[in-house]
Amino acid sequence: MENKKETYSLNDDRRVRVLSPGAMVAKRFFRNRLAVVGLIMLLTMFVFSFIGGLLSPYDQDEQFYATTQQQQEYVGVVRNNDFRYTVADGMEFGSAAQAQFLLAQGKGESTFSYKDVTYEWVEEGADLYSIYANGTLLAFAAKDIVNEEEAALPFSVKYEALKAYVNGETSFTAEGASYELDEEGNIIENGAVIGYVSRFVVRSQENGVVISRDFREALEDAIETEVSDFVYTGEDGETYTYEITYNASAQNWSVLQTKDTYVYDRYASPSSRHWLGLDTNGMDMLTRLMYGGRVSLVIGFIVVLIAAFLGIILGGIAGYFGRWVDNLIMRIVDIFYCIPSMPLIIILGSAMDNAQMDSQLRMLYLMLILGFLSWPSIARMVRGQILLLREQEFMTAAEASGIRASRRIFKHLIPNVIPQLIVICTMSLGSTIITESTLSFLGLGVKFPFASWGNIMTDVNDAFVMTHYWYIWIPAGICLLITVLGFNFVGDGLRDAFDPRMKR
Amino acid sequence: MSNNTDYILQVKDLKKYFPIKGGLLSHTVGQVKAVDGVTFNLKRGTTMGLVGESGCGKTTTGRVILRLAGEKTGGEVLFNGQEVYDMSHKQLRGLRTKMQIIFQDPFSSLSPRLPVGEIIGEAVREHKLVSKAEFNDYIDNVMDHCGLQPFHKDRYPHEFSGGQRQRICIARALALNPEFVVCDEPVSALDVSIQAQIINLLKELQEQRGLTYLFISHDLSVVEHISDTVGVMYLGNLVEYGATDDIFKNPLHPYTKALFSAIPVPDPKAKMNRIVLEGSIPSPANPPAGCKFHTRCANCMEKCKHEAPVQKEIEPGHYVVCHLYDDAKDVSKKEAPHA
Repeated sequence: MENKKETYSLNDDRRVRVLSPGAMVAKRFFRNRLAVVGLIMLLTMFVFSFIGGLLSPYDQDEQFYATTQQQQEYVGVVRNNDFRYTVADGMEFGSAAQAQFLLAQGKGESTFSYKDVTYEWVEEGADLYSIYANGTLLAFAAKDIVNEEEAALPFSVKYEALKAYVNGETSFTAEGASYELDEEGNIIENGAVIGYVSRFVVRSQENGVVISRDFREALEDAIETEVSDFVYTGEDGETYTYEITYNASAQNWSVLQTKDTYVYDRYASPSSRHWLGLDTNGMDMLTRLMYGGRVSLVIGFIVVLIAAFLGIILGGIAGYFGRWVDNLIMRIVDIFYCIPSMPLIIILGSAMDNAQMDSQLRMLYLMLILGFLSWPSIARMVRGQILLLREQEFMTAAEASGIRASRRIFKHLIPNVIPQLIVICTMSLGSTIITESTLSFLGLGVKFPFASWGNIMTDVNDAFVMTHYWYIWIPAGICLLITVLGFNFVGDGLRDAFDPRMKR
Repeated sequence: MSNNTDYILQVKDLKKYFPIKGGLLSHTVGQVKAVDGVTFNLKRGTTMGLVGESGCGKTTTGRVILRLAGEKTGGEVLFNGQEVYDMSHKQLRGLRTKMQIIFQDPFSSLSPRLPVGEIIGEAVREHKLVSKAEFNDYIDNVMDHCGLQPFHKDRYPHEFSGGQRQRICIARALALNPEFVVCDEPVSALDVSIQAQIINLLKELQEQRGLTYLFISHDLSVVEHISDTVGVMYLGNLVEYGATDDIFKNPLHPYTKALFSAIPVPDPKAKMNRIVLEGSIPSPANPPAGCKFHTRCANCMEKCKHEAPVQKEIEPGHYVVCHLYDDAKDVSKKEAPHA
C-alpha cells in the first residue's frame, strides 16, 4: 500500500492540474472577453463608489457658495423741468390759471387774466416766478423744489428760501426769523437742517427704502458731474456700487444698486475643484455620484439578497416536498406575478411621502418592498431546478446510502442550484438598480439628502438644465449604464461559464 | 415463508403500482402496474440476473426492493428475514449500509459538485462506520479495491471517463460494506472492453467479500456470465426463474425462448433460429387479461386469454409461469418457490 502510494504520487497527479468545478467555471469565465469587460466595468464602479467616496475631500451634502453681483433697481431720478406751483395759504391758483400763466410767460407778457381776475408775474431769478393778483402774492412757480426734512415749512419760508437759492444768497429772513442757506441748498435754522432745495426728484423703487439726504447729495453730484457710477457707504456701513443710466426719452436716471451676495453655487461648471461641477443645491457632483453609487449598489445587493433568501427557502420547500406544499407556494408565486409592481411601489412611495418618513428609514422600507416583490422569479427557478435534480440518480444514490435529508438538501441539492442562482441574481441586480433609479427619479425612492443615481438625474426634468448643464445628468446616466451593462455582461458570462453547452 | 438464513432476500408477490393522475381534480384515473407480483428468493453470496425488455419493470423491482420508490403496493420484501417496509426510518437508515445500489448511468449518478473522495466517503462518515483516524486509509483501501488511485479523491466526476465513473459508483456502494447490491444495468452505458473490466471487478469483489448481487440487465450474455440464477421479467411479472444453466439451456416460457433466440452466436455457420415476437409490449397501465404475454405468444391458447397462470416449479429450482406447463408435475407441489 505504501509503495503503491509512492508510485501513484509520481503518476499523473503531478502532471494533470486538478480543477474543481468552481475553478473550471472561473477559467471559462475569464476566457469570455465580454464577461471580463463587464467585470472590469463593475469593479470600476465599485471602486468609484466605495473607495471614491472615502477619497473625495467633500461630503455628499456639503454645499458650496459663491459670491455673485446682484443688481437691483434702487432709485429712479427725474430732473424736474416743469414748473411746480406753490400756493400761499388761503389763496387759490387753479390749474386753468396755471396754464394761463405758462402761456403769458412763454409770450413774455407780464400780465394775464383768467375769469375776470388779472394776474401779474415777476421773475425773481432763474426759473422762479412770483404771481400776484391785485398786488397780493398769490403763488410762485419754480422748477426747483423745496423738500421738507421733518416739519412742514410755511409758504413764506419756502418762497424766501427759493429766492435766496436762485440768487445765490447764503441767508434769508422770513416771518421775522433768519435762515441760512448753504451751497448744497440746505435750509438751516439755528444750525439744524430743516429742508433743502433741489431740482431732482428721487423716488425709491423698492418699498421701505428710505433715501437719505447724504445719498441724495452723492447721487446729485454724480449726475451733475456725469459719471456713470459711484460708491456710497450708507449709514449702516454697507458699501455698494451704484450704476447710473440715463434714459434720454423719459429724461430720467435709473440707479442700479450692485450688491455682492453670497449664494449657493448652483450648476457651477466643472472646474479643478469640482471636476463635474455642482448640482442644483451647490453640492459637488462627483462626490454625490460616488455616494449615489454606494446607495444604488447597496440597495441592489440587499434587495437581491432578500429576494434570493425568500426565493431559495420557498422555492426549495416547494421543489423538495412537492405535492400540496408545492401547489400552495406556486399559487402564491402566481399571485405575486399578478401584482402590478410599479403602481404598488408608487402608491407605497407616496404613502411614505405622506407619513413624512425619515430618509434613512425610507431607504430601508424601499429595500424590503423591492425584495419582497422580486422573490417569486427566484423561487420559481429554484423550484424547477430542484424538481429536476431531485430525480437525478445521485439523489437516489444519496437516499440509498442513508444520508439524512438535511445533508441531502444542503450538500447535494443546493450546490447544484447555485450556478443558476448566481446567474439569476446577477441579472436581477442590474434590473433592481434600474428600478431603484426609476423610483428615485420619480421622487419615490431614495430621498434628499441621500444621493442615488436616480435622484441625481431628477434635475433633468427642467428642460433648461437638460440643455445647458450636461454635467448634471450625463455622468449619472453613464454610471447607471456602465453598472447595469456590467452586471448583464457578467451574468451572461457566468451563465455561459456554468453551462458549457451555452458556448457559441 | 420461513426465515431461512440461506436466503438474504426473499421477495413474495411484490407489487408496485404507480397512480395515473388525471381529470379536473387530479384524481387517480388508473394505475401503471410496473411490478405486478414478483416472487423469488436470493441465496447469500450468489448473483441473480434479472432480464427482460425495456419497460418490463426490472429497474422498478430493484428500487422497490431497496425501498427507494415510495411505498410498495403489495407483497413482501424480506431482507435477512426482516420486512423492509415495516422498518422505522431509523432502522431503515441502518439497513442502508447493508443493501446498496449501482446505477445504470455513471454520469447522472454522481453529484457534479462533490469531489470523488467525498462522494465515496460521505455515507461512511454519515453512518460512522470507521473512526476518523482510519477514515482516509479506509477510503483509500476501498478505492484501491475498485481500481481507483488515492489521488483521484480530490478530483471531480467530470474529470473521469465512463468506466472510471462506474468504478466510483461501485466504490461508493462498497464503502458501506454491504451484503447485498442491486446492480441496475451497471454496464449498459459502457463500451464492451470496459464492460468486461467492470463485470470482472464485480465478480472479484463478490469473491472477496461474499456479496450478493441482484444484477439487472437486458444484456443476456453478461447475465449468463455473471449470474448463478436468472429471472425473466415480462410486463411486471417474473415469467421464468431458475439456475442460469437451466434457463439458458432449457428455456421453458415462450417469452424466454423468444428472448434467448435473439442472442447472437459467434459462429457464422450457425443457423439462427430466431423467434420474432409480433407487436410491441402492451401498456403496463392496461395489461391484457389472463396471461399478460398472450397477445404476442406463439402458443397462445383460449385459456391464456382469461386465466392468469401461476408459478410452478418444473425442475428443482426452475420456476415458470405459463399455462403450457399446467399438466406438468410440480416438483415442489407448492405454489411458492421453495428449494
